[in-house]
Amino acid sequence: MNRLLCLLTMLGAAGALADEPLAVVTTIETFADLARRVGGEKVRVESLSRGYQDPHFVDARPNLMVTLNRADLLIRVGLDLEIGWLPLLTQGARNEKIQPGQSGDLDASTLVEVLDVPQVKVSRAMGDVHPGGNPHYWLPPVNAVRIARGIAERLKQLRPGDAAYFDAQFQKFLAEVKQRAPAWEARAKPLAGLKVVTYHRSWIYVTRWLKIEEVGYVENKPGVAPSPVHLAELITLMQGQGVKKILVEEFFNHSIAETVANKAGAKVLSMPSDVGARPEIKSWFDLVEAVLTQLAR
Amino acid sequence: MKRALLWLLLVGSGGAWAQEDAFVEDAGTQEPSLLDQLDLAAGAPVTKAAPTPSPNLFVRAFQSLNPDLSVIIDGVAGYAERAPLRLSGDDPDLGGDATTPAAGFTLQELEFGFQGAVDPYFRADVFLTIPNLSGLEVEEAYVTSTSLPADLQVKVGIFRSALGRQNGQHLHTQSFTRRPLLNAAYLADDGLRSPGAQVSWLAPVPFFLQLNLEAFSVGPPEGLSQPTTFGGGKRTDLTYAAELKAFAPISDAFSVYGGLNFATGLSPGLDGHPELEGARSFLSGADLYVKYRPANQREGFFTLTWTTEYFLRTLGPYLDAGLYSQLVLQFARSWSVGVREDVLGLPASEIQPLTSKTSVMLTFTATEFARVRAHVEREFAHSPDVQDSMAAYLLLEISLGAHGAHAF
Repeated sequence: MNRLLCLLTMLGAAGALADEPLAVVTTIETFADLARRVGGEKVRVESLSRGYQDPHFVDARPNLMVTLNRADLLIRVGLDLEIGWLPLLTQGARNEKIQPGQSGDLDASTLVEVLDVPQVKVSRAMGDVHPGGNPHYWLPPVNAVRIARGIAERLKQLRPGDAAYFDAQFQKFLAEVKQRAPAWEARAKPLAGLKVVTYHRSWIYVTRWLKIEEVGYVENKPGVAPSPVHLAELITLMQGQGVKKILVEEFFNHSIAETVANKAGAKVLSMPSDVGARPEIKSWFDLVEAVLTQLAR
Repeated sequence: MKRALLWLLLVGSGGAWAQEDAFVEDAGTQEPSLLDQLDLAAGAPVTKAAPTPSPNLFVRAFQSLNPDLSVIIDGVAGYAERAPLRLSGDDPDLGGDATTPAAGFTLQELEFGFQGAVDPYFRADVFLTIPNLSGLEVEEAYVTSTSLPADLQVKVGIFRSALGRQNGQHLHTQSFTRRPLLNAAYLADDGLRSPGAQVSWLAPVPFFLQLNLEAFSVGPPEGLSQPTTFGGGKRTDLTYAAELKAFAPISDAFSVYGGLNFATGLSPGLDGHPELEGARSFLSGADLYVKYRPANQREGFFTLTWTTEYFLRTLGPYLDAGLYSQLVLQFARSWSVGVREDVLGLPASEIQPLTSKTSVMLTFTATEFARVRAHVEREFAHSPDVQDSMAAYLLLEISLGAHGAHAF
């Protein structure tokens, strides 16, 4: 009993110590990487999902409640991407700091310009449409910088004493992005005007950045298995427009896309969409490089 | 002021972009270089508090403080050689009796859900159901605290006890369309679900360990022809329950979730056994849920789960027990198959003879919101007086409106 009390006091005291790193929990690994860059040694970061996992369908495993229970800051994608699993975890976490609207809850979609915001009343007959807009926004450099900036601002709010440190860390990240930007732009140039089909409507932020044209989607309605009629039409469309590439997230089953690609004379590009999608993609920079490499194949 | 203007400009141009087609046709001479865009992004104002009001008028127009509403419809067609020996409240009731077959359609359950935050300190969940078109019932209506200190959470209202695994689940979150036999035999026709209170504590250890303490005023059952564990005495004769739940994430793919369960209350009695009226009953048991689901499950769609639950009951001079064990395999994007074995009377007693049931199910998941579920079972009475019975059900399950997160 004494031991338990001692443990409890220690845990309580640890939370109050100002030089203890802030516990940051993110829903996806890309945010974890950005938070590590901006937070440096002043944060301890953990991601709830893995990069090789579909972020729509993460198991609400109870150990994630424990992780959230000890979090000072939760950084999430928002726009209902995590609606199938995160609300149960935040409710079970018993941590007031990270509840929606608190300073320990950062919805990163508030930091970027959201695309695909429905202009008509959405219905499930349209498939699994996100009423707040398209949540797959973290890849383009402009958005990553905005998110990193937002994380820095929030960390400054939570730890005003370390404001200068977080500012400096953000500037370091920005400098690295700017240093690599010209090379990315050069690699992006030949991709402009490329016509592609994507499996899920999850690449619009990337294709807009790279000026790639999305001709169609393997899923005619998001999240719903495509019908044979739609696939036949898609194949005709791809042949007519000369589309040679189908982008599919690595975590999706590739069989339908492969069939369409074979019939249309195109090839499937297996696309990483988050840090950790493959063991060698350890950072957001690696992710951008991997996506550019894959698109050029 | 300058910043605000810049912001307005950015927001304005964003709105204009969004109305164009998915891509920009012309590389355009006007567009700033990536470096300039990065500088702009780095200097863009960041709002301090989340959530911010959306700049999009359409989204703002649909802001609402109403609770999340949902309707779940379970329509079923079935055939049974005779009426089941014990029927849970949300099992499909085709009528029939102990010797004659029954067949036809029924609305196994219609559920209305209302869920939302009450204020910064509480959330509320209300579920009304109409099982087998037999009248409106309050399945659950409870308030949960959201900001108690010391990792405590309090739940008050009428709710399903966390005793074991299946008792806390609604029909549509279960793998099978009929409750295990031990639900009606050891908890109650509607499970352990009564007005009461729960205090739950998340232990400060590096893994998930949760302790729940509960107290309920369990009402008397409709009849005393079957043994009933709880619901005797007066309203102040509370039924107490305690559960200890632990979770072990063996790997990203492999999970083990287990619980130890205990409950005690007064028995309402049993026809022909006057000594049982008001006798103290004890229920103790354990449940285990083992799941193998690769983290990249969407690639191959394979998931295998094993669930088992055991209850041992002491009721007056009688001691008996029951269990079920089930395996469910998802083998394709839309398909899963499962098998379950139910055994009551392990050990058996005079009031709970040996009864068993073997069930097989096949589920087609069209979307997150619609499923077709087939269920075939054979009930064995292990008695020369009662014939064994075969039953088959085909169920269509529809979920309309808000769709809650899936509990593990």
